[in-house]
Amino acid sequence: MLNNKKIRLMTKLAVYENKEGKEDIRLSKYYKTDYVRYQILKSIISATIGYALILFMIFLYEMEYLIRHAVDLDYKTLGTYILGIYIIFVAVYGLGSAIGYSMKYDASRKKLAKYYKLLKRLNKLYNEETPES
Amino acid sequence: MMPLLVFRERVKNFYQRYDIYITPAVKFLFAFIAFRTINNEIGYDARLQALPVVLLLSLLSAFTPSAIMVLLAALLSTLHVYSISPILSIIIVLILLILYFLFARYTPRFGYVMLAVPILYFLKIPYMIPILLGLISTPVAIIPTSCGVIIYFLFQIIKSAVTMQVNITAEEIMQLYKYVIDSLIKNRMMIMTMVVFALILMVTYFVRKMKFDYAFEISIVAGALTSILGFLVSDLIMDNSNQILSMILGTIVSAVIVYGIHFFKLTLDYSGVEHAQFEDDVYYYYVKAVPKITVTTPQVNVKHINVKTADRGSKGTVRRQELDMEEDYDEDDDITVDKSQDYK
Repeated sequence: MLNNKKIRLMTKLAVYENKEGKEDIRLSKYYKTDYVRYQILKSIISATIGYALILFMIFLYEMEYLIRHAVDLDYKTLGTYILGIYIIFVAVYGLGSAIGYSMKYDASRKKLAKYYKLLKRLNKLYNEETPES
Repeated sequence: MMPLLVFRERVKNFYQRYDIYITPAVKFLFAFIAFRTINNEIGYDARLQALPVVLLLSLLSAFTPSAIMVLLAALLSTLHVYSISPILSIIIVLILLILYFLFARYTPRFGYVMLAVPILYFLKIPYMIPILLGLISTPVAIIPTSCGVIIYFLFQIIKSAVTMQVNITAEEIMQLYKYVIDSLIKNRMMIMTMVVFALILMVTYFVRKMKFDYAFEISIVAGALTSILGFLVSDLIMDNSNQILSMILGTIVSAVIVYGIHFFKLTLDYSGVEHAQFEDDVYYYYVKAVPKITVTTPQVNVKHINVKTADRGSKGTVRRQELDMEEDYDEDDDITVDKSQDYK
């Protein structure tokens, strides 16, 4: 026999699982520290790629100058500058994504709590339905 | 007002009933407009301009997530430029990659904004984007909006760079490259536009968040005024006074369009019918969950607290009711998600 209450619950759960829940459930498989660390790693890598691309474009832009002064260029200061800016760059991106992603994780946890509540209710319904097991 | 409200309910009902067909159709239309605009503006390759190609691309993006449409548009424009000047297309790809790795990847839900800004620029109503985003999302949307502005100006520069015919000598390539980069970085107009767009978005957002009646409508007006003022100042500074009239008209049209969107509030993801599939031990369920829309003709609650002031406050209550009207599936609903907030 169809149990309307159960169907309603299951529908709600299914709709949530298919839409915004997808991301939340995926997040729930990580511990917070793991998740945030993973995201920081990813954004540092992408920041590195972006920085490298920018450097490449600057290099192309200044190519004439660089080639003309290839011998008497002060490579040490140049290297220090590139490295220093890179460190600032990565620090900003790492810090930013640490804050942003941990906020995101907390928010999704809150939404998941409601989801679990509904799941528990569904479980109770099941137990009521089949008391012999 | 009444006939309009009734009309709105009709549209909503219609949308809910046929949303499986309407959503792809609308996406198809948007994609078609986008690809046509790209073809009109930078259509250097006649093969890609052919109608079957455009139709096919639009059809593809009608049934796929919006990220695919953005990707296709980027690909189409790069190919167009490639057909006339491979060097310029490489520059485009490089800049797009930088934008993606440094900014766009953090706001994946706003990918379409980066496509919409240039497209709406060509249609002369880019002011719509910051006002609309201020209305429906958070200040985070400043990032994709700025990226969109950069992309638009990049393509403007590319359009003028294409006319400089280039041979394949290294020197001339370098010259071309320097020209593009120079005009992109030293483009004061672009920076002004980014600042003004960010300002519009912030103003709209904060006015919308305030707690008084008609906050949404007032925020649209405030955004439009910010836009007119901001661009007036920037146009005067840039000595661009021939654009002022079209800017003011564009802003007004944008504000009207945004008001229309707000009025119907067919935020595509939320008001539609949900189809869910699941199973238990006994059955398979294919459920169609239709959100309850309570008003066919809006109910006006006039509370007579005191006979003298009876005619006051009725409009305010109507408005609050409309705002509270979220899709409650039933009485013990727990997963109504706050729609306006969690766009990030």
